Amino acid sequence: MKRELACAGLALAACWSAAHAQDPEKLTSGPGATLTAQKCQMCHELAHVTRSRLSRGEWVDNLQRMRERGAPLTDAEVETIVGYLAAYYGRDPAPAPAPDTLAATSDDPIAGLLAAKGCTACHDAAKKLVGPAFREVAQKYSGNAGAAARLAEKIRAGGSGAWGAVPMPPNPGVSAEDAKRLADWVLTQK
Amino acid sequence: MDETRRSLLGGLAGAGALALVGDARHALAQDKAEAAPAGTIPNEAVKKEKAAAMQYHSERPLTGSVPAHEHDFDVTPSDRMFVRNNLLTPDVNAAQHRLAIKGLVDKELTFTLDQLRATFPVVTLQGMLECAGSGRTSFHPRPSGTPWNPTGGMGCPKWTGVRLADVLRAAGIKSSAAHVAGQGVDPGMVATAPAVIRSIPLAKALDENTLLAWEMNGAPLPRVHGYPLRLVVPGWVGSASTKWLATLTVLDAPFKGTYMTGSYVQPKWPIEPGQKMPPDTVSTEAWPVKSMITSPAPNARLKGTQRIVVRGRAWVGEGSIDRVEVSSDEGRTWQPASLAPAGDRFAWRTFTFEFQPQRFGYQTFLARAWDDRGNAQPVESTWNPLGYFWNGMHRVGVMVEA
Repeated sequence: MKRELACAGLALAACWSAAHAQDPEKLTSGPGATLTAQKCQMCHELAHVTRSRLSRGEWVDNLQRMRERGAPLTDAEVETIVGYLAAYYGRDPAPAPAPDTLAATSDDPIAGLLAAKGCTACHDAAKKLVGPAFREVAQKYSGNAGAAARLAEKIRAGGSGAWGAVPMPPNPGVSAEDAKRLADWVLTQK
Repeated sequence: MDETRRSLLGGLAGAGALALVGDARHALAQDKAEAAPAGTIPNEAVKKEKAAAMQYHSERPLTGSVPAHEHDFDVTPSDRMFVRNNLLTPDVNAAQHRLAIKGLVDKELTFTLDQLRATFPVVTLQGMLECAGSGRTSFHPRPSGTPWNPTGGMGCPKWTGVRLADVLRAAGIKSSAAHVAGQGVDPGMVATAPAVIRSIPLAKALDENTLLAWEMNGAPLPRVHGYPLRLVVPGWVGSASTKWLATLTVLDAPFKGTYMTGSYVQPKWPIEPGQKMPPDTVSTEAWPVKSMITSPAPNARLKGTQRIVVRGRAWVGEGSIDRVEVSSDEGRTWQPASLAPAGDRFAWRTFTFEFQPQRFGYQTFLARAWDDRGNAQPVESTWNPLGYFWNGMHRVGVMVEA
């Protein structure tokens, strides 16, 4: 009986430590965490970040390399991400987790989808970035009956040609339903 | 020369390479069985071709290696060769694959694999490849980059192919030539990712051991190791050995691109550990002298009545191995290990050292290799921000029991 109790105790302890162990695919909450996760995950699993402890200077170099390798980042985004990483994944002890006060506060579900699915990494509402502006897409397909379905399909499968040589990468992580919502919304952006 | 894919590949071919670009950003979060982006091989399929002893350090990009005690071979088996992708693993059709030679040559040439095989002498040699960051986790503090275990990230298989020198000479090397850049067809995870392009000095390109290889250990290259064609620049940092090779460009200077200037460089002068990269840097090229103990395994239980055979491998990227010494008393005294005869110029050499235990308990062994220029392995390698060229002495401890 005593032995069984001891075993149960051990199992509980194991459960507790598993529940409280840091998930390598989850960043500590803090100002800039959301943006950092979004940008890094375009190409990497988050373990690349969560296993690292680097000085601010090393993070600056790291972000510069990622930019050279195609990460779509503005200067302001780099500043936010370096600030977050240097604090929470620095060589000095990290501060306590805090709310991500720099996360987009919009509760607009479309804005949320655009950010979460990485659309805004390459597309802007009004101006051409890596890909065409949503407005350009809406104008091009204005009055085209099958456009919404074709666009939804293209969001998921990717493709190239319609807007030049740079291809739209496939987005298998966007559900058919979300792709449809995004396509319908894009076409209203004339 | 600037750094876009198109500058090297030219219009149509560039568009072709870009069309392979996929987006794997959701691959890990989602079901692992999910299909990889079009034109690429999923990591799960790559892993099926590798040994169970492989330890993977990252998925995107895929990196993995075996620890020293799982690497106790004179020739590295293909399924234990380390994996280090920068981008995704491309699914290449060998029959349609072409190698183009361009830049500062008298005549630009294009070869199919069959043409390469039929036109030039075919050679097989054993040669060392080692990732620049191999052993990175031994640095304190831990630098940025793939967390290779202290003895992972290298291998020494046999390669079959043709000499790069023969192919370059067939194209005619112009007198202004100084570097040769290799570019593969591996696609990035975002459309904006530039190709991985690395260049090597002409002298190394013309070395008779530098190959365009299509076989590893007598079989076609495994897909993750560059099928159907790769550069093999033995003794040098692995990134020089471009996989899935499609284009060689002869240049009058080192290629200027992120994989030449942003990584695979180290400070010209040693810096304080933990600091950022200084402005003055040098490119990483040949590996310094290094060795590892491949048997016994760490914490092995061994009978005190038996002699312990300490076995390992030693290598150097320039010059040759002069000797290997083993210490059984934490470096107070050193005894010579016996060294197998030298094989191919850039092959590692097996060393053995027999030890008769005098007591029970924990017993450690340290190995230290020397090259023919008087360089020995250090206790700690010089810290650098990207954690390159760890060649500190390898130490293994075992339990001697009754």
